Amino acid sequence: MNIDKKPKLTLFHCLNSFKETSSMFDGCQAKTVKMACSSMTKDIHLLKAFEAGADAVLVLVCPEKGCRYSEGSMRAKKRVDYVKTILDDIGMDSRAIEYIQHDSQKTTGLIKDIIQNNDIRA
Amino acid sequence: MITASQKPINEIIKLIAPYKKVLILGCGTCVKTCFAGGEDEVAVLASALRLSFKKKAMTIEIEEQTVERQCENEFIQEASVKMARNDATLSLACGAGVQAMVKRFAKNIVLPGVNTTFIGIQESQGIFTEECSGCGNCELGIFGGVCPVTRCAKKLLNGPCGGSQKGICEINPDTDCAWHLIIERLTTLGQLDNLKTYIPPKNWDTSLSGGPRKLVREDHII
Amino acid sequence: MKTFSHLHEKLSNGEFAVTGECGPPRGANTGVVDKKIKLLRGFVDAVNVTDNQTAIVRMSSIAASAHLVRAELEPVMQMVVRDRNRIAIQSDIMGAYSLGIRNILCLSGDHQKFGSQPDAMNVFDIDSVNLIRTVRDMRDTGKDMSGYTLDVAPQMFIGAAANPFADPFEYRVIRLAKKIDAGADFIQTQCIYNITRFKEWIRQANNEGLTDKVYILGGVTPLRSAGMARYMNNKVAGMDIPEDVIKRMDGVDKKDQADEGIKICLETIEELKGLKGVHGVHIMAIEWEEVVATIVEQADLK
Repeated sequence: MNIDKKPKLTLFHCLNSFKETSSMFDGCQAKTVKMACSSMTKDIHLLKAFEAGADAVLVLVCPEKGCRYSEGSMRAKKRVDYVKTILDDIGMDSRAIEYIQHDSQKTTGLIKDIIQNNDIRA
Repeated sequence: MITASQKPINEIIKLIAPYKKVLILGCGTCVKTCFAGGEDEVAVLASALRLSFKKKAMTIEIEEQTVERQCENEFIQEASVKMARNDATLSLACGAGVQAMVKRFAKNIVLPGVNTTFIGIQESQGIFTEECSGCGNCELGIFGGVCPVTRCAKKLLNGPCGGSQKGICEINPDTDCAWHLIIERLTTLGQLDNLKTYIPPKNWDTSLSGGPRKLVREDHII
Repeated sequence: MKTFSHLHEKLSNGEFAVTGECGPPRGANTGVVDKKIKLLRGFVDAVNVTDNQTAIVRMSSIAASAHLVRAELEPVMQMVVRDRNRIAIQSDIMGAYSLGIRNILCLSGDHQKFGSQPDAMNVFDIDSVNLIRTVRDMRDTGKDMSGYTLDVAPQMFIGAAANPFADPFEYRVIRLAKKIDAGADFIQTQCIYNITRFKEWIRQANNEGLTDKVYILGGVTPLRSAGMARYMNNKVAGMDIPEDVIKRMDGVDKKDQADEGIKICLETIEELKGLKGVHGVHIMAIEWEEVVATIVEQADLK
């Protein structure tokens, strides 16, 4: 990978869970996908994000008990875990996809850390 | 339904590696219901394969299609156009579907993308259980509707073995003892006397032991 | 009355019978069998020869039984339906009889899942009840399962197993009755440690009149250590070792635990001797055959 190039990040998030600001994606090319509920995170969408060139994919969901549709966050987590197994199987780093439970205090910092530390890379 | 589970991706990669253009063909009936080979699974598999080949710097062209039922000629027909322009077809249908394709397209390469597992039901969301062996000679009536041929690990027809404890089969803590279920059910139905009935050796001639089976319906043959 | 074997004769005379057990070796070494024969001969009326027990591949029970016959120690050949279809079963019974084997114990067999070959295909063409019936029909009608009249039909004394400790408990006696109807002449039970539950089972069997139709040999296995007791209770399917028995083993010094195990075994045998409907004892001293002589002598079974 060309280190001068900004990493590409695709963020899937529940529109109920948080409001994005452009500054939080400093240092990377970000694409965001808003969903009515994180349960709409389908495995195919996550894989297609990688196919479209994402180095990393993040799925940001409401806290499990805070999901408006009660099971959405749990479903999203299961899908992420499933896609991780696929990535492992095909020899990609499964750390390239992560699931973050939204916490108003921590989320922005967490995303920044991830971008700066290049923690997740395909 | 017939249940199946997708083969490990690396096995699939080995199967399709010799070909440049591959059609992944799903089936919209049983394997869709058990999340092995419906439209969604075709899309995920195609995407995963593209990513994998890209990572290995290999090229492959993948097309996707899902027909309603791969085990019926009239639905298979719909796949003919895409099959013709691909080097091979990876079928995500059960073994019957794969072989129906082979009979219909005698010159095309058709590969299996799933392992066909059993005749069963979705007991609860995401959990499938085997219920029937297709032995060709159903005796569920006497067993209160629970099949010991399929659900007893030792196919015992005259009562449970000595290994069952607290309703659980000795071979797997996740498996109910079929005979425990039979007794429970017969108790509910007030038919416990069925337990005393002697069941003679089963005639396996109607099962696979009698060789591949054929069902003929004269009244439907023209 | 015609008796089919020495064991049969002893039981029909109303004597308290004793059977032992010999597990064939994992290989073709007849020396192992000969050694076990020496340890058991003279102390027991017959010896069960296990058939690939726990689904671990061993010398065949027919061959090992034949070695016992040659050494004039009467075998009870065990036969499981796990590994043979009805063709092999009938053929093996004829072959066994031709080799001088006169007792058979008809079993389902431990599932191969926990054996040395979990990837094997099992058979289970017929179940143990139908195996009993097959041997009985051969003997009493002279015919094989297909109805063909055999020139010399095997005349075997037929045994079956019963586990009074397995669930569902209410069903255990019905199952016993089914095995007796199918033709079982004698029953050997699972190892008895829970004597209370065993007594309840034999009481039910007495009430149903079953103990007049069949000889029942209570199974015992001397415990070698507290660890073995716990292992058997947790890991062996259908085994019931009450907490107080395990505690009693735990309560003595490690070096004395084997003696305590023998003591418990002797007490169980003493209880069994006094029970109506119990006709003998089956001592399964697994890989501890040398203890059988001690138990037989101390229990005054000679």
